Amino acid sequence: MNYEQEQKLEAQIARELKALPELAAPPTLIARVLAAIELRAALPWFRRSWQTWPAALQASSLLVLLAVFGGLCFAGWEVSQIGSAVAAQKLGGIFSAASAIWNALNALAGAMVLVVHKLGTGFLIGCGVAIAFAYAMFVLLGAAYFRLAFARR
Amino acid sequence: MTDAQQFEAFMRNYQNMVFSTSLRLVANQAEAEDICQEVFLKAYERFGELRESPTVGGWLKTVATNLSLNHLSRYRSRWSFFSELLGGTEGEARELEFPSGQDIEEDLARADRQELVERALQKLPAAQRVPLVLYHLEGLRYEDIAAKLNISLGKVKTDIFRGREALRKRLVSQLGEEVGAAQEQ
Repeated sequence: MNYEQEQKLEAQIARELKALPELAAPPTLIARVLAAIELRAALPWFRRSWQTWPAALQASSLLVLLAVFGGLCFAGWEVSQIGSAVAAQKLGGIFSAASAIWNALNALAGAMVLVVHKLGTGFLIGCGVAIAFAYAMFVLLGAAYFRLAFARR
Repeated sequence: MTDAQQFEAFMRNYQNMVFSTSLRLVANQAEAEDICQEVFLKAYERFGELRESPTVGGWLKTVATNLSLNHLSRYRSRWSFFSELLGGTEGEARELEFPSGQDIEEDLARADRQELVERALQKLPAAQRVPLVLYHLEGLRYEDIAAKLNISLGKVKTDIFRGREALRKRLVSQLGEEVGAAQEQ
């Protein structure tokens, strides 16, 4: 399709689409929205969004949040002032636990390598093919289920 | 007139516009209704400012467009693979209502044509329908569509071109004439 034909098609499609009238909304829409508004209004203030809270509650909740934030900042600063010896002792404990986990993982990885060598590559390829086959079956069955369950009647 | 009555009148004025915008983007009646409800609930929260605003129509259209696009990106992507795997039938034909006029025969012919165009549009895959609607009906530029859909400019142009071509083919097969022929006469 050349440029001129493309321009002509664009103009034709634009004409067809712009000629479309507005679609009529379902007659139940207004009642549905009004019901949703009533439902929201019936909710207690603490279950509504913060923007719709009474002004006094908005102000006091803001103050409480600011106080909590200030308290956390102060606590953080106090903690940073604790002696370095205490901190080093605690960190040492954490690192010793981490090194034990690292050793266990290393032993596990060594055992896995040994198992792979013993089983041979043929067995591993077979496992890979079986997994791929199972995955393909899952996708196909999922697609078939979707088509059946959500088919428009 | 009470606030509730004013808001009801406000919804009555704009409900068709909001519904058309949503339905043409999501191509599903129930989902479009949900989106309309969400749009009007947002409008209710800001009704104090909106009722006096001269740009309220534009605001509602923008909110409806954004919510429809959010909805498509949130809920459709996970299903699109399955629905398109065996040949998607997204947007089956649905009954549409059109306003009646004085010259019944002429109106019927026009309404039939518009219904066919509407159905053909709804049957396009979302990847073609959404940029096509945003370009031709919402008046967005290619760059804006690319930004809204988070895709490249080239892809927007390709999808719109393919959408036009697919729409033309459907209309030619259904109307038995070249697209736009009726208006050109």
